[in-house]
Amino acid sequence: MTTPVLSSSPRRAATSLSVLLPSVCVLAGAALAFLMFPYDLSFLTRIVIMMIFVVSFDLILGQAGIATLGHAAMYGCGAYAAGLIALHLSPDPILGLAIGAVAGAVMAWISGLILLRTHGITLLMISIAMTMVLQEAASQARWLTGGADGLAGITVSPLLGLFEFDFVGQVAFIYSVSVLAGVLLLCQILISSPFGLALRGIEGSASRMRAIGTPVYRRKVTVYVIAGAIAGIAGALTAQVTGLVGIEVFNFSLSADVMVMLILGGAGRLYGALIGTLLFMVVHHLAASVDPFNWLFVIGFMLILVVFVLPKGLISLPTRVTQLLRRT
Amino acid sequence: MSLILSIVVDGVAYGMILFMISVGLSITMGLMRIINLAHGGFALLGGAAVHLLTTHLDVAFIPALLAAVLAVVLLSVLLERLLYRHIYGFNELGQVLATIGIVFIMIATVNLFLGSTILPLGVPASFTTSIDLGFRTLPFHRLVVIISGLFVLAGLWLLMEKTKFGIYLRAAVDNRVAAASLGINTPVVYLVTFAIGAGLAAVGGILGAELLPIEAYYPLRYMVLFLIVVSVGGLGSVSGSFVASIGLGILDTAGRYLLPGLGTIFFFVAIAVLLALRPNGLMGRAQ
Amino acid sequence: MKLSKLTLCLMASAFSITGAAARADTIKVGVIATFSGPNAIWGKQFREAIDVYVAQHGDEVAGHKVEFVYKDVGGPNADASKAAAQELLVREGVKYLAGFDFTPNAVAVAPLTKQAKVPAVIFNAATSSINKQSEFFLRTSFTLTQIAQPAAEWAAKNGSKKVVSAVSDYNPGIDAETAFSASFERNGGTVLEKIRMPLQTNDFAPFLQRIKSSGADTVFTFLPVGPATFAFTKAYNENGLRAAGISFLGGGETDETTLNALGDQAIGLVTAYHYSDVHDSPLNHSFVKKLQELHPGSRANMASIGAYDGVELIYRMIKAAGSDGAKAIEAAKGMEWESPRGPVKMDPVTRTVVQNVYLRRVEKDADGKLVNREFATVPNVPDLGFNP
Repeated sequence: MTTPVLSSSPRRAATSLSVLLPSVCVLAGAALAFLMFPYDLSFLTRIVIMMIFVVSFDLILGQAGIATLGHAAMYGCGAYAAGLIALHLSPDPILGLAIGAVAGAVMAWISGLILLRTHGITLLMISIAMTMVLQEAASQARWLTGGADGLAGITVSPLLGLFEFDFVGQVAFIYSVSVLAGVLLLCQILISSPFGLALRGIEGSASRMRAIGTPVYRRKVTVYVIAGAIAGIAGALTAQVTGLVGIEVFNFSLSADVMVMLILGGAGRLYGALIGTLLFMVVHHLAASVDPFNWLFVIGFMLILVVFVLPKGLISLPTRVTQLLRRT
Repeated sequence: MSLILSIVVDGVAYGMILFMISVGLSITMGLMRIINLAHGGFALLGGAAVHLLTTHLDVAFIPALLAAVLAVVLLSVLLERLLYRHIYGFNELGQVLATIGIVFIMIATVNLFLGSTILPLGVPASFTTSIDLGFRTLPFHRLVVIISGLFVLAGLWLLMEKTKFGIYLRAAVDNRVAAASLGINTPVVYLVTFAIGAGLAAVGGILGAELLPIEAYYPLRYMVLFLIVVSVGGLGSVSGSFVASIGLGILDTAGRYLLPGLGTIFFFVAIAVLLALRPNGLMGRAQ
Repeated sequence: MKLSKLTLCLMASAFSITGAAARADTIKVGVIATFSGPNAIWGKQFREAIDVYVAQHGDEVAGHKVEFVYKDVGGPNADASKAAAQELLVREGVKYLAGFDFTPNAVAVAPLTKQAKVPAVIFNAATSSINKQSEFFLRTSFTLTQIAQPAAEWAAKNGSKKVVSAVSDYNPGIDAETAFSASFERNGGTVLEKIRMPLQTNDFAPFLQRIKSSGADTVFTFLPVGPATFAFTKAYNENGLRAAGISFLGGGETDETTLNALGDQAIGLVTAYHYSDVHDSPLNHSFVKKLQELHPGSRANMASIGAYDGVELIYRMIKAAGSDGAKAIEAAKGMEWESPRGPVKMDPVTRTVVQNVYLRRVEKDADGKLVNREFATVPNVPDLGFNP
C-alpha cells in the first residue's frame, strides 16, 4: 500500500504535533476540571469513560461510515471480561484493561465478519439483534455473570502497585483520563496513517475505493476490531471503577445514546466525540437534578435545535458562526 | 395439532398488531428514505388520546378511537409541514437525531400530563370476552385486531394498486426525481403518505393496546420491534410488512410455546440470520 | 509522590468544606433512586412518602435538622448509582444513604458504605443477598423469599394441590420460583412445571395456554410491575384460566399504581404481599389521607411504605446515634415499631424487616376503585432466604 500523500519533513513534524493535540487538550481540560470540581470526580470519571466509548464509535461511524446500533456489545463484553478476570484471576487493573480490549476485539471480529457484509438499516438491525442476544445470554448465565443482579464484588489492586483506588475517586479519574489520552493518541495516529485515509475513502465512496484496489471489506473489519477493542477498554474501566457489571451494559439505549452523543458533537473528528459526550452528559446531569421528571423535554429540544442549526454537529459551531457573520 | 393451531392463532393475532403499527413506518421509510424513530410516538399519542377521552371525558370507545386517529393525523400533517419537510433533506444521522428529539418530546408531553404508568383505554367489556374456537378460546379483541388488520391490508392494496394516488406513490418510491419531473406533486404525495402512516400507527397502537399497553415510554420500549418488522419485510413494501409481521408473530409465539427459556435468544438469532441472508428483507428491492 | 501531596491537600480542603456544609445541627440523608425514564414511578413514590413522613413528624429529631438530598440514576444503573453515592458522601457530606429501587444500584454502593461507615436504608431492592455485601445495609421493603414461602404455605393449606410456577426469567423471578417450589413441595403439594418467561415477552397467551393444559389447579407467578403484569393478568382471564377454575396466586402483580389500569378483569386475583393501601389500621388511614392531601391522585404502594418506614428507621437511628453510622447500625438492630403495614421489627441478623405477609384479593371498593383487600395474615415473617 503506497502513501497517497507525499510527505516532506516539515509537514511530518506538523503532523506529529497535531497527532498529540487532542490528547494534550484532554489532559489540560482534565487537570482544570480536577482542580475546579474536586467533589464531582466520580461524575467526571463517568464522562471520561463515556468519551472513550464514543471515540471508539467515531472510528467506525465518523471515519469509516459504518452506522451500527449495537456498539454496546463490545463495551459489555469488555466489562464482563475485566470483571471476571478481577474476580477469578488477578486484580491488576492494567491486565483487566488488556483483557477487556481483547474481549471487545474478539466480539467485534466475530460480529464484524457478518455485519460488515451488509449496510444501511440491515446493518443497524443485525447489530441490535446481536446485542440483544448477548444481553439475554448474560441474563441467563447467572452462574457466571450474576444475571440481573449484576456481577458484584469486583475489586482491583492499586494502580501500578502504587496508587490505591480512593474513596473520593481521584485515582480512578486520573487513571481514566490517562487511558483516554492514550486512546486519543492511538486514534490520531491511526487517522493520519494511510490506513486512516483509506477509511475516509471508503466513507466517501466504497465503490471507488474498491476500483483503486483497496480491500474495502478487510479494511472495515480491521477498523471495527480496533474500535471494538477500545470500546472493550471503556467497558473494562467501568467495571473496575464501579465494581459491578449489570446486564444494562448491553442496553439498546446505551448504543443509541452513544450514537446521539457522537452526532450531537459531530462525527468524523475526534473532538466532536469529546464535545458531544461532554454536552450530553452535563445537560442530562443538570436537567435531571433540577427536574428529573421533565428533563426529556430539554434533551429533545436540544437535539432538534442542534440538528436544524448545526447539521454537522457542535464541532461546526465556529465555522457556522463565521459563515453567518460573513453573510450579514 | 391443537398446539400448532394455537401457535398459528396467537401468532397471527400478535403479528397483525405488529403489522398495523409498522406498515406506516415501512411506507414512509421506503418512500421518503427517512429513518423516523418517532413513528411509535404516533401510536402512543393515539392511545393517550383515547385514554383521555374514555376515562376522563366519558366518551365511548369507538368515537374516541375515531377522534384520536383524526387528531393524530392532523398533528402529523402539522409536524410534516413544520419539521419533517426539512428532515427529509438531512443525512441519515441527522434524521436519527431529529426524530429521536421529536420522540423524546412526545414522551415527555405524555409523561407530564398523564404520568409514566400504564394508561387504560376504557375498551368496551365485549372486547375482553372470549370466543370458543372449538379447540380453544380466543379473546374477542384479538379477533377485532385480526379483522381490522385484514381491512387495513385490503385498503392499502386498493389504494396502492387501484387509485391514481397509488400510482404516484409507487412512482415516487421507485424514483423520486423522475416522478417529480413527470409532474407528480411529490410534496403532496409525501404529506398524504406521512399522514396515512401516522394514522395507521395510531390505529395499531389503540387496537393493540391490550397486548402492548400504552404508557409514556411506549415508543422507545417497542422501537426495536417495529424496526425489525420493517427491515425483515423490506422497506416500502406493504406485502413485505404483512408477511414479516405475521411471520415474526408466529416465530415469536412458537419460541414461547416450544422453548420458553430460550425464546428471546431464538427470536433474535433468527432475525440476525435472516437479515444476513436477505439484506433487503423478504420483499424489499435492492437499493 | 506529587500525587499523594495533592491528594492530601484536596482531602483537607474537601473535609473543611463538607465540615462547614454539614453543620452539627443538620444531618443530610442522600436518596438515590430513579426519578426519570420508564421507571420514574419508584422515585416519585419514594419522594411522596418521605414528604408525608416529614409533614407528620417534622424535620427535626433530637435537636438535629434532617435534610433529604435526591439523586436520580434513571433506572437500573450501577455506574450512576455509585457515582451518585460518592457525590453525596464527598460533596454533600450525607450521613445516611437511602432509596435503591434496583438491586445492582444497591450492590454498587456496598463498598462505599463500608468505607464511609454510612448506613444505607434500602426502600425496595428485594434480592436477599444484597445485605451480605455490606453490614451497613438495612432493608425496609421485603425479599422475594419472604413473600413466596408464606404464599406457598397458604396455598398448600387452602386447597391447591398441583401448581405451575410461571415467573419472569430474571433473578427476582427465579428467587420467587425457588422459594415457592421448595416450600410448596415440603407442604405436600406438587409443582407440575416451572416456566420462566423472558422479560421481553409481550404476548403471554402461549404460556397461559400451556398452563391451562397442564392440569394445574393454581398458577403462581412473579413479574416486574408494568406492561408485563398488565399483559399477564389480561391473558390469564382471556385464555379462560379463571373460567377453568385455575386460581391465580401472585405477589406484587396487583400493585396499587397499576391496579386501576388492569380494570375489572383483575377482580378476584389473589396475591401474597406485605402492604396494601387499604390495610385497616388508624396509622395507615392517616398515612394514606396525608398522602392524598399532599399529592392528590397518588396512591400508596409498596414503594411508598418502604420509603415511609425507611425514614422512620432513619429518624430512630438519628435519635439513637446522631451521625455516627456504626453506632446507628447497632442501634437499628432489633428496633420494633408500628408501621402503616402492621408491626415491623428490624431483624438483627438479616437486617431486613420482620413483618406480616397478607393474603389479599382484588375487590372494588365503595367509590369504584380497585383495591387489594386483606383476608388472611401470616404473622412476623423474617427474610427466610438469608443464609449468612
